[in-house]
Amino acid sequence: MSNQTETAARLPTGIKRKTNKDNNIWRLIWKYKVLYLISIPSILYFIIFKYIPLGGSIIAFQEYNIFKGFGGSEWVGFAHFAEMFRHYDFLRILNNTVLIGLYDLIFAFPAPIILAILLNELRLIVFKRVVQTVVYMPHFLSWVVIAGMSVAILSPTTGVLNQLLGLFGIDPLYFLGDNSYIRTVLVGSGIWRDTGYGTILYLAALAGINPELYEAAQIDGANRWKQTLRITLPALLPTIMILFLLHIGKFLDFGFERVWVFLNALNTENGEILDTYIYRAGLLSQQYSYTTAVGLFKSIVGLVLVMAGNFFSRKTTGESLY
Amino acid sequence: MKKWASLALTCMLAMSFLAGCSGTKEPAKEEAASGGDKPVEAAADEVTKFSISLRTLNFGYVEKSPDINADKWVKRLEEMTKTDMDIRLVPHKEYEQKMVQMFATNDIPDVVQGQGGTTGKEMAGSVEAGVFMPLDDLLKEYGPHLLEKIPKEAWNRMSYKGKIYGIPEWLGNPSRRATWIRKDLLDQTGLPVPKTVDEYLNVLRAFKKLGVENPYMGRQDFKYADTFFGSYDVFPYLNQFEESDGQVQPKFMDSDNMMKALSTYKTMFDEGLINKEFATINPTTFKNTILAGKAGMWTMNANELIQWQTQLQDTVKDAKLEIIPSPVGPDGKGGYYLYGDVARSYFINAKYKHPEKIIQFFDWMVSDEAEQFFTYGVEGENYTKEGDQINYKQPTDSQAVDEERYRQAFLWMVQDTTYNKGSLSLTEEGKSLMSVFDNTLANEGRDGIEFDPRLEAFKKNPDITPLSDTPPPLLITHMVKMVYGQEPIENWPKVIEEWKSKGGSDVLKEANERYQTKEGVFLPRK
Repeated sequence: MSNQTETAARLPTGIKRKTNKDNNIWRLIWKYKVLYLISIPSILYFIIFKYIPLGGSIIAFQEYNIFKGFGGSEWVGFAHFAEMFRHYDFLRILNNTVLIGLYDLIFAFPAPIILAILLNELRLIVFKRVVQTVVYMPHFLSWVVIAGMSVAILSPTTGVLNQLLGLFGIDPLYFLGDNSYIRTVLVGSGIWRDTGYGTILYLAALAGINPELYEAAQIDGANRWKQTLRITLPALLPTIMILFLLHIGKFLDFGFERVWVFLNALNTENGEILDTYIYRAGLLSQQYSYTTAVGLFKSIVGLVLVMAGNFFSRKTTGESLY
Repeated sequence: MKKWASLALTCMLAMSFLAGCSGTKEPAKEEAASGGDKPVEAAADEVTKFSISLRTLNFGYVEKSPDINADKWVKRLEEMTKTDMDIRLVPHKEYEQKMVQMFATNDIPDVVQGQGGTTGKEMAGSVEAGVFMPLDDLLKEYGPHLLEKIPKEAWNRMSYKGKIYGIPEWLGNPSRRATWIRKDLLDQTGLPVPKTVDEYLNVLRAFKKLGVENPYMGRQDFKYADTFFGSYDVFPYLNQFEESDGQVQPKFMDSDNMMKALSTYKTMFDEGLINKEFATINPTTFKNTILAGKAGMWTMNANELIQWQTQLQDTVKDAKLEIIPSPVGPDGKGGYYLYGDVARSYFINAKYKHPEKIIQFFDWMVSDEAEQFFTYGVEGENYTKEGDQINYKQPTDSQAVDEERYRQAFLWMVQDTTYNKGSLSLTEEGKSLMSVFDNTLANEGRDGIEFDPRLEAFKKNPDITPLSDTPPPLLITHMVKMVYGQEPIENWPKVIEEWKSKGGSDVLKEANERYQTKEGVFLPRK
């Protein structure tokens, strides 16, 4: 209520100032012309490579034929969307996508936060640097390489992991050949690859915390655990929120390549996600319109999620993307 | 002072750029000038310029070449045929996607290389859309040798609505894949060359006793590991339809035989005759395992025989590879699926001004001069002549072998690709390989009814759609699970029902309708 009255009260003055404001904008642009000039390439980049291609999404509403193009293809309305929702496998694939996204959010998202706090507690600078560099490294490996390594490590006959399990009397498990392990493998490989790299932003935020806060806490008798809980975490919260919101926006975009390289006949049932389905149906079977519809659906869900997340975050923590 | 320095630097940079650009252009100019020295007026209109897209086919020589258009063999070919080609390579792995991209962006070369027929996926409906020109009249006038040498089956594949649209590179013997065995190991077991499925299993068991890690080399999705599906004639592949009780249906719907084939694999799996992890064995591991001497029997393309033999002997000195007749099933036949009659094909852009020149270019490809050039290279450099006798130095180091293969199989665009007769006849192993093709492989292989253009119903659901050598994903899942014992084999009829319910019924309906009208239907060759 109070918000409404506030905007209502502001409105008249806003209208009065309108012409004035227009002038202001042009004057501001003129004043900061160099900055605007510098930003032209990136603005052009977004227009040419992001906004104009968005228009291509109309093929989701057409029966697209590459020789007829956008103009000549027949319009079919929401037929492709209907077909998608009717598809017998749609629920299974959506379910996989959501579940894998959820696991990723629960397990992979907090991992860099924990690692960053642990790294922050290291006292020996040389050791800290070495550890940091080592944990960054997997990020620069391609998924194909990681998949190859995983196949070797997880192999039931020659894999290290199964030999380790064997020491505890556990029979070898065929991790990549079993529906019940594939999601764990997918999320786990992501954690291994990206946790270290994900700490960069958190470490930067940690470096910015005023050391006097810790000194004061020590004088008040807080131990390290208390200090972490009361100082470090609250100080990290804005960074966590922003990254969380960005993550939410990509909730359904688990990524094509990292899943594709792990899939085989024995784990597709639980491992296939929307991205891999789009690849199979769209690029391999050349159903461009249908898969554009699936992709569009995915983007819209992502947009709704990020807007809702942003709204709640602004309401509760005051942090938001925009 | 500083300003001057930076200005000078900029100028220098600009100069070097210009120099760099003109540097690349200069040789071309020179060549044109020297070429035009003798017949000044003729050279201008005699050299045919055209662009052509070619798939790299995984050829090391092609993919490593910094600029294929500057390659010496391309230059020689251009010289001999009075052409100036602008070769645009299409990456082997993304061939289909790149081809579609090419059509979608309307950046279509004058000559486009396809694979097989006129309506394949890679052509993306371009022939139907009128992108290429019909060639019948042109062929009659300018390509008499092509018409004479290329078999009718191959021309049939290049026809769309009664008109020929492409020039095929043909395959005289479509039976390409073969059953390979480590003859040295077989001799150790004391067993004779196996013939039936049971005899094969016994040999595999004997291999296991010898301590061979992979008696039968498995691979994911049964690709290149489908020997026993061939024995029972149940390949779940694209061109494997058959007529049963007046109905056209995919061969995997023959439940009895399919279950027998699956049981064979299950037995192999249970007894450890096939790797327990075959569901995750990729092509690289497959090849490496075999070349490390850890496999007893497997499937590979016969033309690789000599190369693999050499590579295998690097690790296992006494290894001896042999191609044996594939295991026969209840009908006394066996073998692998047959390849298409056409290996590569060439389409001419409807907008191109001088199609007759291109027809002549391809017509030259089937001449004796071309055969000699592509097989042996250039006199004095690659071979010497004594009277009529050609002394060809067969290359030994891998780079030279790559170059030879490139010349014989990539650059020679129109030929019978079964094998290169000229170079195989030079050695003993080559001669025995030719005999494998002519005697063993020619007598085996499984073919089925084929639909080209492919059935519309297949386009809708990738899950139920087989590829030329892979079963539909839906079936692979069940097949692998059955072999792993995660699902009973007796469930196969249910799997068929599932396939039908997910769009298979439409496939059957369309297949039978098409079969009745005989439109785009190719009957089994064997």
